[in-house]
Amino acid sequence: MEEVPSINTQETSCTICKTSMDLEDIYCSECGYPEKGNEREIALFHARRAMQKNQNMDAGKKIRSARNILYVMAGIVLVIGFFDFFQSQDVGVLITNAILGIIYLLLGAWTSKKPLAALLLGLFLYLTTIIISAIFDPSTILRGIILKIIITVYLGVGVYSASSIKK
Amino acid sequence: MNIICSNCNAELYKEVKFCSKCGKQLHKNEIDKRTSSLNLIIVFYTTFLLFAVVSYLFYNEYPYNLLVEIVIESVFALMVVIFSLFDYKEILKLYKIPKLNKKILAFSLVFPLLSAVIVYFSIAFLNESLFGLNENYYSEYVYLDYPLFWAILFTAILPPIFEELGFRGFLFNSLQKVVSERITIIATAFIFALIHFSFISFIWIFPFGLILGYIRSKYNTLWYGIIIHFIHNFVVLMIDYYNFNNSLF
Repeated sequence: MEEVPSINTQETSCTICKTSMDLEDIYCSECGYPEKGNEREIALFHARRAMQKNQNMDAGKKIRSARNILYVMAGIVLVIGFFDFFQSQDVGVLITNAILGIIYLLLGAWTSKKPLAALLLGLFLYLTTIIISAIFDPSTILRGIILKIIITVYLGVGVYSASSIKK
Repeated sequence: MNIICSNCNAELYKEVKFCSKCGKQLHKNEIDKRTSSLNLIIVFYTTFLLFAVVSYLFYNEYPYNLLVEIVIESVFALMVVIFSLFDYKEILKLYKIPKLNKKILAFSLVFPLLSAVIVYFSIAFLNESLFGLNENYYSEYVYLDYPLFWAILFTAILPPIFEELGFRGFLFNSLQKVVSERITIIATAFIFALIHFSFISFIWIFPFGLILGYIRSKYNTLWYGIIIHFIHNFVVLMIDYYNFNNSLF
């Protein structure tokens, strides 16, 4: 130890986020703004911020697409339920599909308030229905496999986007 | 406590997001932490989905086989324990014996009695009238020498221990790092209901999971959940046992 750090009483504040800074600090410890940096560093900081903002806007779009998928799933499940019921008169299928469709609808509606939780549960619900149908009839797993992968990816991307903008 | 910047070795006097000397982002930020918890949750759930498929195939291939049953139950327990190791410090705390609280203890003893009876008769009725299903947990074990022993072990003792550890322990703790406490309770209940693989049963397992999650959150222990889960499963099994023996004669 050559030097005991003196407590700096002179303070300034960050131009960007107004966090107080010691005079000798080069960077803001809160947002990373190069208060005493050169032009290039400042430009880099702004470029990074702009990219971040862009990503956030993008995240909003991805969340909305994932939410729309939940609504579409709700529609498909309900329509299939009714269709099956009129063909087979099987109340069991009707009630199962009705419950499933209502859960999808509720999750879709919940996405605007709690996107991360709603989309994560939506993704799990979707994967579970694929597995349940595969258990009843293993051939269903390959039926529409590309569509299944697309839906899963969209929901997954929605989940991570929601996580990236959550405060 | 002083912190040293990993990039330029500058001494910093408090925890900060960026080094004030070289501008390096110091702590793995919130989003990264959340992403790794989220990854773990998704891996946990997909692992159990795949496990469900594999165990179903085995049960189908080897019906009424004690060895298969023991292996599958052990694999399930082992998987839950392995996931719990990721967070063993926090999870061990949940096994501390809680201070005696008569109110919650009384609730833990009475509530599952009621839930078991209500669920048993309403769900049995629904399953039979909608799907023509007439499941009896006890009857699955009558091929063995001590059916009551095995039935109690596999339906009333093991599931409460390992499901509570998996869902109210590991999953609950992981979700807490990603979403708020209230949402954690809702999400664990939802996932707990999903993994039971029946959308009819969703109607009662979801609220049942909400109650278990609320108690886990309020008292920070797994014990009440284990007691409630055990009594519930045990009572359902005993009604099945009674019905089975009386329907034979």
